[in-house]
Amino acid sequence: MTYDLIIIGAGPSGMTAGVFAARKGLKTLIISKDLGGQVNWTTDIENYMGFQEIDGQALMEKFENQVKDLHLEEKLTAVTSLQKAGDLFKVRTEKEEEYTAKAVIVSSGKKPKTLNVPGEVEFRNKGVSYCATCDGPLFRNIPVAVVGGGNSAVKSALDLANYASEIHLISDNGLTADSLIVERLNQLDKVKKYLGHKIVEIKGDKSVAQVVLEEIKTKQRFGLNIQGVFVEIGLDPNHEFLEKLVEKNEANEIKIDCLCRTNVPGLYAAGDVTSVPEKQIIVAAGEGAKAALKVWEYLLKAPNTGVVH
Amino acid sequence: MEEVTVYSSASCPWCSKTKSYLKDKGIVFSEKNVSEDSAAAQEMIELTGQRSVPVIKKGGQYVVGFDPERLENMLQ
Repeated sequence: MTYDLIIIGAGPSGMTAGVFAARKGLKTLIISKDLGGQVNWTTDIENYMGFQEIDGQALMEKFENQVKDLHLEEKLTAVTSLQKAGDLFKVRTEKEEEYTAKAVIVSSGKKPKTLNVPGEVEFRNKGVSYCATCDGPLFRNIPVAVVGGGNSAVKSALDLANYASEIHLISDNGLTADSLIVERLNQLDKVKKYLGHKIVEIKGDKSVAQVVLEEIKTKQRFGLNIQGVFVEIGLDPNHEFLEKLVEKNEANEIKIDCLCRTNVPGLYAAGDVTSVPEKQIIVAAGEGAKAALKVWEYLLKAPNTGVVH
Repeated sequence: MEEVTVYSSASCPWCSKTKSYLKDKGIVFSEKNVSEDSAAAQEMIELTGQRSVPVIKKGGQYVVGFDPERLENMLQ
């Protein structure tokens, strides 16, 4: 069976696209490894209109319910490849299934960046963490490192100050976080900063015991005995499955125009995975709506595809 | 059936996701909050060697993180 539309990713943009596509009568399939995406990691949201304050998961449950009401087809799995074959798109998943569609919206969001150093994968959940608010209480009275210099890194360091005995903040650059929170950090005696340094290796036995730092200017290396490494160095777009199919910008985001079109006819993108500025839930949702409406127009006009009713 | 324990922390989105998943499936579990209970934190680290929540434990088996597929296998 050929779908009119396959939506890859079910965060705010993907689920909104789904609702708009269903209302236009498009035969739509949503494929995503989870529902809610990055919003699941967000606690208090105070800038999504209609809700003065709402928890990320609570908001996504409302999105999910709206999607479920329209009986959209959903597959909870990760996409491994997307290819164009003539006028159609072939989507393959981790479960080795293949689906075909006339148009695709990529709304697969972003994921936390990894350090890509030896030891990071081996010690994941064994000292290496990407969520200080979640895992902080498991690092009571032991020394930890936080990697990054932006708001999320400094906030993590402040959070961890409630638990850890020492905090070593490592940034290859300076601190780009808001001055207000940097000031709070500067008041803490247990925080030591290593600016202009990077981690080159994470070492340990059953769990993390040391990181090897390198001063970027001098290339001098030294070890730091810590038992936790919190990685807060920003986000990377999720689009490995596209390989070289579409154009990206300098931030490796999918390049789209104001109609959510990529450079491949029939292939649209929406939300944080794209070049659209401002990664906000409300922006992503709006982009998802626009992408679905543009797909509908595309299918009406496309000579060989058309919408099947 | 062996008892199911969820080790969670106060501000961990995947912990709440895990708990509502278990509730939806009608699985009875007890919860140990590692933010409030440092002994529970230590116990979890010693039992599983993990420093990441949620950890869902049943007998000698455990799952780290919200992973419906692995949870289903373990809880069967």
